[in-house]
Amino acid sequence: MRHAPGFQHANVEGWSRGTSPLHAVDPRAKLGALLVFLTALATTSDRVSWIHDTWIYGAYFVLLLAAIAIARLPLLPMLGRATLVLPFSTVFALATWWAGNPRGALVLAAKSFLSVLATLILAASTPWVRLLDALATLHVPRPLILVIQFLGRYLFVVTDQAAQVMLAAQSRQGASRHQRLDPCKNGARRFQAAAGAVGVLFARSWERADGIYRAMLARGFTGYYPAPAPRPFHARDAAFLSLSVAATLAVRLAL
Amino acid sequence: MHIPDGFLSPAVWATLDVAAVPAVAWAARQAQNDLEHPAGAKSRAGEDRQREAQGDRRIPLLGVMGAFVFAAQMVNFPVGLGTSGHLVGGALLAIALGPATAATVMTAVLILQAFILQDGGVMALGANILNMAIAGVLAGYLPYHLWGRGRTRSAAIFLGGFVSVTVSACMAMTELLTSGVPMPRRLLLISGLLFLANGLIEGAITVAAVRAIERMNPGWVRAAEPVHARMMIVTALAAAALACVGLALSSAAPDAIQSALSIRGAPPGWLNKAALGLAGMGILYAGLLLVARRFARHRLARQGSA
Repeated sequence: MRHAPGFQHANVEGWSRGTSPLHAVDPRAKLGALLVFLTALATTSDRVSWIHDTWIYGAYFVLLLAAIAIARLPLLPMLGRATLVLPFSTVFALATWWAGNPRGALVLAAKSFLSVLATLILAASTPWVRLLDALATLHVPRPLILVIQFLGRYLFVVTDQAAQVMLAAQSRQGASRHQRLDPCKNGARRFQAAAGAVGVLFARSWERADGIYRAMLARGFTGYYPAPAPRPFHARDAAFLSLSVAATLAVRLAL
Repeated sequence: MHIPDGFLSPAVWATLDVAAVPAVAWAARQAQNDLEHPAGAKSRAGEDRQREAQGDRRIPLLGVMGAFVFAAQMVNFPVGLGTSGHLVGGALLAIALGPATAATVMTAVLILQAFILQDGGVMALGANILNMAIAGVLAGYLPYHLWGRGRTRSAAIFLGGFVSVTVSACMAMTELLTSGVPMPRRLLLISGLLFLANGLIEGAITVAAVRAIERMNPGWVRAAEPVHARMMIVTALAAAALACVGLALSSAAPDAIQSALSIRGAPPGWLNKAALGLAGMGILYAGLLLVARRFARHRLARQGSA
């Protein structure tokens, strides 16, 4: 059983309901700042020198630390969660190192870590539904946004159900501790049981979707999803956006 | 295999982000048709209007199916030697719901993962969508579409699962190589073997899962019927060929890439390869654009006659 996405995500969702100045900024401004930051980071050339690299990636890191401080987010858990990307990076960083480019390896690791941290700050300072509304302003098609909203709402319901189905299957077929006695036969049986679990999950999801739609009809759904009310883009939001863009560009261009 | 940010070069992710837009638009629009009129049913004007009035009843279904993908990925399958694998789900969804619907669901999953779960990069989102939600799903559906009837059915489903995972992985590798991430020959070999194993596992799981679903309700799995057959075949073949050509090219000359990497951007060999890769992506983009155009025209013509 892998960990449900919820176990690691629970913290982030709790953090996103905070009340710091960064939480109060309009999600569109934060999204814009994130995109500028990521673009600046991606286009930072890595051809110069060790000292230069240390300075520039250090400066980007300081910018992100400042954002974490403003958002009053817990520093160590944030950094810990951002290292989720590191297994993937490490493989390629090691390959780069092996190919005789140790500086390239460190740059690769630094870039992927900083990118994840920046995205995480956005997710941890913005409730996800409002984040999706901000995506809609980037012309992500509205039906797709609605699908993601349903997906987010039923994610934990369905993954919890998966955990139950697996537990039930394990209870019925006995502990997997005995699998070594008869690996082949038992393995095949467990494989079938897992396939059955996927089938049951599919069936329940399908029925659940039907039920959701009927419940919506019963509550007067007319086939039309109301658009979220447009939110005002305050001067404060514009100030945040221009300030963070200026800081990012300053690091990118000056260092 | 979600590519994080920081790996792809700006030229590559920017191109792929742009390329993903029409592909996603096509999938979303096609999905709208598919669920209301499964596979080739002729729609008349009245039905069309009724469908519009019914509104978006498919949206809850697509959302819950996205949650199902997450849940299904949690289920462990013993694959021998004490290890276990899990379903990726692109081929399974494509076979059960149709390719366009599956592509839309997978796109939603990837966007949620990138922005909210930090799984896969934001800038690399276009690349991840094209690899897994578009190419992976279409390639996974292709064998089922071609041989999904009669005796070859199980084999077709198995092949779908296999091809779906392999094509996604090959495309991701090609993109990484095009971006100049070094891939020593040994690493390339190991990952190739891993992809092969993953493909076989996905194929076996997909067959078992489709059987389990059909045992409960045969109506949940769509029969293999031609849906815009030629276009889909062309697109999927283009994607597969592109991925394979890229991989073949890069594994033919890993040393060139290696040396190119130590002094990035300088040697013309690297530039050539990048240009070649981008040209390939461009062809794919053009193909997808063509499909989208053609589909739009088709739809307009139908609305006009209504």
